[in-house]
Amino acid sequence: MDLGPFEADNSVSCRLSSQIPDICRTEDCCLGVDEAGRGPVLGPMVYGICFCPVSKKQELKDLKVADSKTLSEEERENLFQNLDEAKSYVGWALHILSPNTISTSMLQRTKYNLNALSHDTAIGLIQFALDSGVQLKEIFVDTVGPAEKYEDKLSQRFPGIEVTVRPKADSLFPVVSAASICAKVARDRVVKGWKFAEDLGEVDADYGSGYPNDPKTKAWLLKYLDPVFGYPQFVRFSWSTAQTLLDSKAVTVHWDDDEEDGEKAAKRMNNKSMLSFFSASAASNDQSRQTHRFFTDRRLKGLSNL
Amino acid sequence: MTTKKKRTPNTESSGWVVIAPDSVTDTNKHGSDPAFLRLRNPSTDGASLYLLGSGDERLYEVKAFEEDFHSWFVGETGQRDGRLVFVTPMDPLFLILPYLMKSGREEKFQPVDQVVKDEQFPACSRLLSCTCSLLHITEEKEVGGLKFHRYSQEKTMNWLKRKVERTAAALKKKNVSVGEGVKSTTYIRVKSESEDREEDYLRYAHGLISEYISEELSKALLNHLGLPELTSPKEAEPPAKKRKLSDKPVEAGEDYTKFNSSDFARKPPKKMTAAQKTLAKVDKSGMKPMSSFFSPKSK
Amino acid sequence: MLDIREKTRQNRIQRRRRNPQRPITNSILSIPGSSTLHVALEASRKMSCHSSVTHLRVSSVGQAERVPVHLLPCEIEHNGSAQVSQYFTATMSDHKGEKSVSFRGRGLKGQEVCCPAGYTGLVLKDVNKPGSDQEDRTVRVSSVFDKLTYWNLDNPPTSDDTVVMAMDWPELAKAIHEPVDE
Repeated sequence: MDLGPFEADNSVSCRLSSQIPDICRTEDCCLGVDEAGRGPVLGPMVYGICFCPVSKKQELKDLKVADSKTLSEEERENLFQNLDEAKSYVGWALHILSPNTISTSMLQRTKYNLNALSHDTAIGLIQFALDSGVQLKEIFVDTVGPAEKYEDKLSQRFPGIEVTVRPKADSLFPVVSAASICAKVARDRVVKGWKFAEDLGEVDADYGSGYPNDPKTKAWLLKYLDPVFGYPQFVRFSWSTAQTLLDSKAVTVHWDDDEEDGEKAAKRMNNKSMLSFFSASAASNDQSRQTHRFFTDRRLKGLSNL
Repeated sequence: MTTKKKRTPNTESSGWVVIAPDSVTDTNKHGSDPAFLRLRNPSTDGASLYLLGSGDERLYEVKAFEEDFHSWFVGETGQRDGRLVFVTPMDPLFLILPYLMKSGREEKFQPVDQVVKDEQFPACSRLLSCTCSLLHITEEKEVGGLKFHRYSQEKTMNWLKRKVERTAAALKKKNVSVGEGVKSTTYIRVKSESEDREEDYLRYAHGLISEYISEELSKALLNHLGLPELTSPKEAEPPAKKRKLSDKPVEAGEDYTKFNSSDFARKPPKKMTAAQKTLAKVDKSGMKPMSSFFSPKSK
Repeated sequence: MLDIREKTRQNRIQRRRRNPQRPITNSILSIPGSSTLHVALEASRKMSCHSSVTHLRVSSVGQAERVPVHLLPCEIEHNGSAQVSQYFTATMSDHKGEKSVSFRGRGLKGQEVCCPAGYTGLVLKDVNKPGSDQEDRTVRVSSVFDKLTYWNLDNPPTSDDTVVMAMDWPELAKAIHEPVDE
């Protein structure tokens, strides 16, 4: 697994994949989808797919892949080795969602929630397998949200493929376990060797699990809080853990799409429409003549004080 | 995700991010520093900020690009005030004009430093050090090496017209969108499209020039340009309170001419120089018209 | 330096001579007659609201550092030092002039805008904290710049962005204000 392409710019998302086994292009295949690192406030979320011919399901099972969460980091690394050795019939692909992508997507003007982001990423990976010529017949997906809706969505998106969305799919279907191992191994490696794009000198790498309830993570978040910038891009700003710390310990920042009470928002909207329709001067109050729209269009106003 | 945050007032002054012509910071030529000061805005009649530089030879206007929710990073600092201040050269005649117009009602030639006076804006006399030609807006007479001026509406209109035309050309060159949002309802379109565009540019330019003159003058200028007034829904609304030049006469704190004696009658002078006191004692009952008017200043 | 300051001081004195309406406390108080005094004080109070001046110490331009400036699409309640190069500049990316960065987890897209020809960007700071509104102040040029980078929240920069349009102003101002030939 070469993480180089992601590490070259870890502020954006990145897709990595194994070679596509030839057999997957000619035989009917099954594909598993799983994710790693959904909960943590630190680091990327990794989506993984793993696929192999339906005829090789038993061989995959014999590789003893299991739910990645029940395994130690070392065990996962070993299992990933096993998968790599089976590359003649097992393929995988990963989509690393950088923490910066997660933050900026979730905090966009038109908010992009994590479920939608997850679904779109999974769909993107399945499409990638199809585009690579993998003869997909069965898809198994692990889910955290309501399974039925997601299953319908995927079935519609990929007609002719049998879709099974199931909670705990990673312990039920070896191909999902395999996907889970790929994703988890990638996330572990990325987090462990995180290259801070910020110029912060030596950064304490003892950030714990990255889960908000881990005291080590909490201590790290307190230590690396900058009053103006908040955090390096390693932190998911869209997590309430980060937001709460920033609200209490960092400088307040106001955006034009901040939530505000209805009355205030309405007033602001009013002002805006007044500006655009009548070019009314929002400027100094001692003038009753309207400012020319050349100036209002350019948000230019005279000053009476420096 | 965003929580409700109250905006605290920005009380501390941090700094100003300014874009200014290089002439402002040209340190070689002049000993004195440029100064930001308040002068009477000819359009609003209120106080506006200007900058005088190059030893008061040049006047600049000060405007700010200001939008809500902006801040600066300047080098390794943050600055909360996100305004971008533009300092641009300004024609001093725009600021001098209202004073001359007001005194022009007396239809007399006067020394300009007698006219450009303002109790509220004492710095206005510094405008007279600016490089500009009063001949664009006044007629001039010279007697005994001294110059006297009288406001000329005709010259002013021609001067303003040239400014409108030059501005219209600049708008066209810059490709500024000047299309009228509101079209005339009474005005029948007989002109071709291109002529129409031409008129749009002129109207737009007239609007820009009107930012620097009184409402009355703006209307007169529209007339002079041969542009009919547009009726728009905007104007159908109750008219905005008419803004006039200050009702108060320009106060002559230092009155060497005897012709503003009516001012003396209305209010006592603020403070008299020795010369004024001497003049005040002079019997004004037999005032002679023009001749005395051209008498040189007593020094 | 001393020379210039001395000149400035003399200029100021001359200006006061030219313009005796400037409030010089002594001369006001020396006016005889109580009613005159009252009027004079009244006048000085009226005047004072517009008579304060902010001097721009241009000699400071020489020492001013050229710095990068960024206009952000948010209000940051902070005046003072910020680790801009460590956090912001270090994470900026540039694809064919369209820049991206994130601030507080929000995606920003921006571009550089140059100061209009013949213009320079100046960052002015108070030399000393101003006492009252009515006192003269002095500001100095603390930094200079010839281009700035402005940032939009989410939206890619376009020529219709208000700050880009505002840069038209100096050229239009020239058309409006340049003296017309006689």
